[in-house]
Amino acid sequence: MVETAFPLANEQVVVSAHDLSVFYGETQALKSVTLPIARNRVTALIGPSGCGKSSFLRSLNRLNDRIPGFRLQGRVRILDIDPYGSRVDMIELRRRVGMVFQKPTPLPMSIYDNVAIGARSHYGLRGRRLDEVVEQALRQAALWDEVKDILRRPALQLSGGQQQRLCIARMLAVDPEVILMDEPCSALDPVSTFRIEELMVELAKERTVIVVTHNMQQAARVSHYTAFFMYGELIEYGASKEFFLSPKMQATEDYISGRFG
Amino acid sequence: MRWLGRLFEAGVYVTGITVSLVVLVMFYYVAREARYAFGDTFAWGFRLALLPADSSDDMSPGSAPYTTLVTVNAEGSDGLDEHEEIVPAPSVSSVEGEMMLTTAATLVSDITDIRADRLYRDEWRALKTTQQGDQFLVLGYATPRYQQKTMVLAWEPDSGFDPTLSPYRLVLRLVRAPHGVDVQPFDIDLKRQPSGRITLPAWVARTDAERSNGYVFEIQATPHRSAFWATLRGIFSTEWAPTLMYPRYGVLPLLIATTLMSVLAMLFATPLAVATALYLSEIAQPRLREWLKPALELIASVPSVVLGYFGLMFVAPSLQNWLGQALGMESGRNLLTTSVMLAVLAIPIVASVTEDVLKTVPESLRESAMALGLTRGEMLWKVLLPAARSGIMAAVLIGAARVYGETMIVWILSGGTASMPSLSSLQDVSRVLVGSTRGVPDTIAIEMGNVAFESVHYGHLFLLGVFLFAATVLVNLTALYIGRKQVWRV
Ligand SMILES: Nc1ncnc2c1ncn2[C@@H]1O[C@H](COP(=O)(O)OP(=O)(O)OP(=O)(O)O)[C@@H](O)[C@H]1O
Ligand SMILES: [Mg+2]
Repeated sequence: MVETAFPLANEQVVVSAHDLSVFYGETQALKSVTLPIARNRVTALIGPSGCGKSSFLRSLNRLNDRIPGFRLQGRVRILDIDPYGSRVDMIELRRRVGMVFQKPTPLPMSIYDNVAIGARSHYGLRGRRLDEVVEQALRQAALWDEVKDILRRPALQLSGGQQQRLCIARMLAVDPEVILMDEPCSALDPVSTFRIEELMVELAKERTVIVVTHNMQQAARVSHYTAFFMYGELIEYGASKEFFLSPKMQATEDYISGRFG
Repeated sequence: MRWLGRLFEAGVYVTGITVSLVVLVMFYYVAREARYAFGDTFAWGFRLALLPADSSDDMSPGSAPYTTLVTVNAEGSDGLDEHEEIVPAPSVSSVEGEMMLTTAATLVSDITDIRADRLYRDEWRALKTTQQGDQFLVLGYATPRYQQKTMVLAWEPDSGFDPTLSPYRLVLRLVRAPHGVDVQPFDIDLKRQPSGRITLPAWVARTDAERSNGYVFEIQATPHRSAFWATLRGIFSTEWAPTLMYPRYGVLPLLIATTLMSVLAMLFATPLAVATALYLSEIAQPRLREWLKPALELIASVPSVVLGYFGLMFVAPSLQNWLGQALGMESGRNLLTTSVMLAVLAIPIVASVTEDVLKTVPESLRESAMALGLTRGEMLWKVLLPAARSGIMAAVLIGAARVYGETMIVWILSGGTASMPSLSSLQDVSRVLVGSTRGVPDTIAIEMGNVAFESVHYGHLFLLGVFLFAATVLVNLTALYIGRKQVWRV
């Protein structure tokens, strides 16, 4: 069932899941997924709702741990770290693996502090250096012009789209090597969405981006590779161009042509 | 089956309305009973004495051996000294005729026999409770031994009596000078001039019969403004002493003490309670939490009398042992011990509510903090606490309202002395901390049992109840208001 001929011949694998199964109590969210992901590329995860995309993403930076009944089988490696190994440094793991969620989650503090908190915590930056990092992150997230005069305001006063870009800036300020994005554009208007897509491409020059999306055009536009999940299984995985033009599996074709899901 | 639903609905209506009404009626009753505080029964009292002209002395007994005053009271024995109680008092009409000897001086049988080494000088005190107003006639003369040309009429408020608090016009005037004595009439406003002295020509009674021709002074009390304002001034004065001859009903010391011990208790309780809540909600394993949370709520429901008793048996002695020397603690029952036990009362309440509040902080916020790689400490301190701030404040206020109205613990541990706390210096503060004190609720509880029904004191206790009610309602409303602002947009 699983397409095993992975098209990563000339790529460096930075994240890899091997025979990964995830359970929430009785529910099995992922079923023996084996998925290597290429360095400095955008990889899109698509599939119908509830098929386990988020579960996959959250297994990579151990965000599932707090969920009652969560269990994981198989092997995960990310940036040469074994996140579920006994000696893993979670702080370090999450510094190197950033994440953006579907819903914007500004922290209850000022715009500036939202962006600064990670850099302060990980790199002990202060004063001018911190200001620079904050500005750069906000510029990258295409938010600087809108907030440069109101940096001390509570982040909650921003609009939903601005909050989402703030969350991206917050993630960027920590300077992660792998970026996990779980439907980052679902709450955004077309203009913001376009900006974020540009940003993803830009980021992929020196970072690895894994993005979950329900938007086929988006996946086709920004991603180098696409993985299709269904019912917790990886159905098809390949370079995005071929993936969308000539899917190998019937289910994939049904899904991307809108006949399913 | 439909009628069953209707019946249920009607039951809910009736019960809801009845219970709300009963609560309102209860408050109305308390507020209404407080009206007795504004009764027009006020006690007032002055001390008068005739002193030798050369005496620079005060009016203490024995200071003026050669003069005396005789009271003539229209009503009888009111205002006479203890010595005189055995002697029937003369009536106004008898001032000019035959009269009995009524002063302490006259315990000696003959006026010519009066000697300086005996107690024959009288200090005259008028102590009256008055509603409509009152007047006293006071007769003054010197004994034959008196040699000087003048004598002095001195007056001062009876100890403990503050003329400015009484709703009366209080006047001292000369009614009649002895025959042949030329003296300027006077009419003194005792509120303006509560104490003073006036020099008069000496007049000596040579015989028993002559005494009645002496000076006649009058002290008069007439209601001159509403008792309401006088009571109000009294309420916001700084002494609570309802059993004195001139009762003081100043609620400030009680209110301040209650506020002080509540604030202190919350200062102790808040960090501990919040830390407990953080531990329970964020750190403890679910299995442990399942045990701890109900245990905490169980502690919150321990009757406060048990906490008070525990405090008395264990906390008070150990605080006394531990800090007694350093702080100059005379007894383990003091404000500090009370606050500590009030904190013990508050901690489970605040912790439990705070834990509920932390539950309402969306999981996404925690995940964001974790995804950023913040440490758990940073997550708790920088993300969770700010996010839950208003809810936590509300929790603290709920605890504070509970503590503010707490009776038993304060009754058992406060020591029971109502005194105005002075906080002007560091030394004062520590003295207040280790000093015996008394709050509002325990005062009500202590004094309610032995107060005369519908007396002024009784009214003041209800008034205290109103204050307490108002304060706790205010705190609770603030909690509600702040708590409502806890809306987390995500
Ligand atoms: N916290 C949880 N507790 C229990 N089951 C969960 C939990 N989160 C997800 N699941 C289950 O795991 C399965 C996969 O969920 P997941 O969130 O990974 O899907 P998804 O592909 O991200 O869907 P969507 O596109 O709607 O976000 C679902 O069947 C879901 O019911
Ligand atoms: Mg999802």
